[in-house]
Amino acid sequence: MSLNRIKIESLARVEGHGGITVDFKDGELSKVTVDIHEGPRLLETIAQGRVPSEVVSLTCRICAICTLSHRYAALRAMEKALEIEVPPKVRLMRDLMHCGEMIESHALHVFLLALPDYLGYPSAVHMAPEYLEDVQAGLRVKRFGVRLMELTAARSIHGENPVIGGFGRYPSKSELLRFKYEAESLIPDAERGVEILRNLRQPTYMEEGMTFMCTKPEHDRYGWVADRILVSNGQEFNAWDYHKLTNERVVPHSMAKRSRFQDKPYFVGALARFNLLGERLDGVAGEHFRRCYNLSWIRNPMYNNVAQAIETVWALEEAPRIIDKLLTHEEDPAIVAPSRDKGAGSAAVEAPRGTLYHHYEIAEGRVVHTDIITPTAQFLDMMESHIRVAAKNLTDEGDTDNIELKLEMVARAYDPCISCATHLVKVRGL
Amino acid sequence: MGMMASKTQAAKPKVGFYGFTGCAGDLLAILHCENELLDIFNAVDVRSFLMASSEVHDDEELDISFLEGSITTDHQLESLADIRKRSKILVAIGSCACFGGPQAARLGYGDWKERFKKVYGAVKHTVAKPFESHPVDEYVKVDYHIPGCPIDRYQFFFALTRLAQGMSVELTTFPVCSECKWNENECLLLNAQLCLGPVTAGGCDSRCPSHNLPCIGCWGPAAEANVASEIDLLKERNFSSEEIVSKLRLFGGAAMVRRFADLLGIKAEEPARKPRPKKVREPIVAGKAKKRASTKKPKAKSRTKKR
Ligand code: SF4
Ligand code: SF4
Repeated sequence: MSLNRIKIESLARVEGHGGITVDFKDGELSKVTVDIHEGPRLLETIAQGRVPSEVVSLTCRICAICTLSHRYAALRAMEKALEIEVPPKVRLMRDLMHCGEMIESHALHVFLLALPDYLGYPSAVHMAPEYLEDVQAGLRVKRFGVRLMELTAARSIHGENPVIGGFGRYPSKSELLRFKYEAESLIPDAERGVEILRNLRQPTYMEEGMTFMCTKPEHDRYGWVADRILVSNGQEFNAWDYHKLTNERVVPHSMAKRSRFQDKPYFVGALARFNLLGERLDGVAGEHFRRCYNLSWIRNPMYNNVAQAIETVWALEEAPRIIDKLLTHEEDPAIVAPSRDKGAGSAAVEAPRGTLYHHYEIAEGRVVHTDIITPTAQFLDMMESHIRVAAKNLTDEGDTDNIELKLEMVARAYDPCISCATHLVKVRGL
Repeated sequence: MGMMASKTQAAKPKVGFYGFTGCAGDLLAILHCENELLDIFNAVDVRSFLMASSEVHDDEELDISFLEGSITTDHQLESLADIRKRSKILVAIGSCACFGGPQAARLGYGDWKERFKKVYGAVKHTVAKPFESHPVDEYVKVDYHIPGCPIDRYQFFFALTRLAQGMSVELTTFPVCSECKWNENECLLLNAQLCLGPVTAGGCDSRCPSHNLPCIGCWGPAAEANVASEIDLLKERNFSSEEIVSKLRLFGGAAMVRRFADLLGIKAEEPARKPRPKKVREPIVAGKAKKRASTKKPKAKSRTKKR
């Protein structure tokens, strides 16, 4: 069969609008592009000249799925710029809300967006009649994530409760306790996702070695917020040197800039976190990780789905630990006021789909420079590369039946957020 | 109505969900209805929801379409015109679709081109032709607006169930302040905080003031708001008009410019581009998935019901 072009106009079951084009020349694969159809929002220019609190509310609107990761990164970067030191209770609350987002986002991706691929359905709703228990388990876990975000952030999407210097309101002791027990009781539901994925054969047509990158929490703990960045070649960087890691370039077929590390594409996300920090995982999640991990994890992006499923279990174990610590802080701290009105700050936070960087410069109480590097923008090159390998292997073997679906599965395994990917551009000066 | 009631096996209304320029928060808010999600998909016949399903039918008539996001490219404009043509009822969901969204906060300043250049430099975009963010009703007739950034799931349920039964929808017209009173919140304005509650549409249950935080206006302008007196009140408390206007515009975009231009001292709005009577290109929201869905039957229950 001779192919000229495979075109996936619109990727389904991902966030935002993008497609894939695979071109052939004289029967040979020539070009693979992930096309971004997302309309421009120019939020970076809307941020210009606004006060820091408005900019936090604005930049969390870059993406609804990672809204709290964006908010967390923005708050940390702003607080560095304004020299604010927040009390431990604030940090614990932020980590708790972050757990909520990881649980929600991963459950959505694993159960509702990725599993239908493996099982051959167009959506989780189509899957429901035959896999009702699994879909319901996934929805229960997802629901808990949503509620945990509502508890801590005031809403599950664009919650305004986390602000620069602290929180507007703290949950009560009894609310926290209820969420603690609920988290524990949902671990078996989350484990279901791990079990299903573990027993499915992972396709291998896209395998290729990759470079991984993620934040490196202190004290040998597993976690998602840190000032150090770890690369799979053994190198380490400071978060504020993020431009050394993510050197960007422009490509003509996309509204999003692209990042490479030392001229090579790289992977960020749950799979990167597990490949780099997996041995730090404890508890039930640690057991699952050790049971599932194998060498394919360093070259097969499909394992990102498994990593997300296990990370959901970890988040359900971590939330009760955070709640226990929170309960030792009786007083609700007041919002800490900034000690200056100018400065610069950058911060890294692990969003569900990978490392997210926010950088702000503030002068006379106004934001004059915004730079945001999103996970999807970073891994687009790696994703393109895996899709290329997949297209080549599948066409070489003449295995072109349903090739669009097979390529889409690779893209979906990355859990891309295409609307966030268009917002990694910089603007300087008013 | 009568017709629907007479059939015991009444055809479910065909519904489409579409997203334009935004953060996907409103569509995600619908996916966040975990307890009701399967019911929603059972109560109506979802023909297009790209974020949740790869089964998409984008060439047929719809009873209701829900649209998120503002319009910022020529492709979207064509797609919007196509959806309007195919839909009996069109509902704008979220502040982006209703007012242009945060991306429309500078609507009326006329500096879009300059800002675009700042962000993208001289890159020639082959994907689509971009322009200033405008709300959906600048281009086509919108039957209902459900505001919020993002929308509230209860307002959405209310609208969906009413519309699915062939009835009309009326959302809140009172401001956030009313909800604050019902929630017995202490007024933040008395605390010298710049709260937009008095001019912002209610429906969020005064979420922010209930957390001791001022409303930032994410629901857009309230129909019953007395903006003039709110602004006077804020000025009395030493907030500058510049500061107030800047906040009002962040989520109120086009609606603020339209309704309060004089009051706020805002320049006239950039005219929105009207859809050109051009051949309708393959809409961005449709595409390959559609073809696949029609060749590959879902294993589970088939949705193609013969009439
Ligand atoms: S209205 Fe808000 S939640 Fe909805 S798309 Fe726009 S930014 Fe996102
Ligand atoms: S109080 Fe205001 S800012 Fe907060 S959710 Fe309601 S409308 Fe939005």
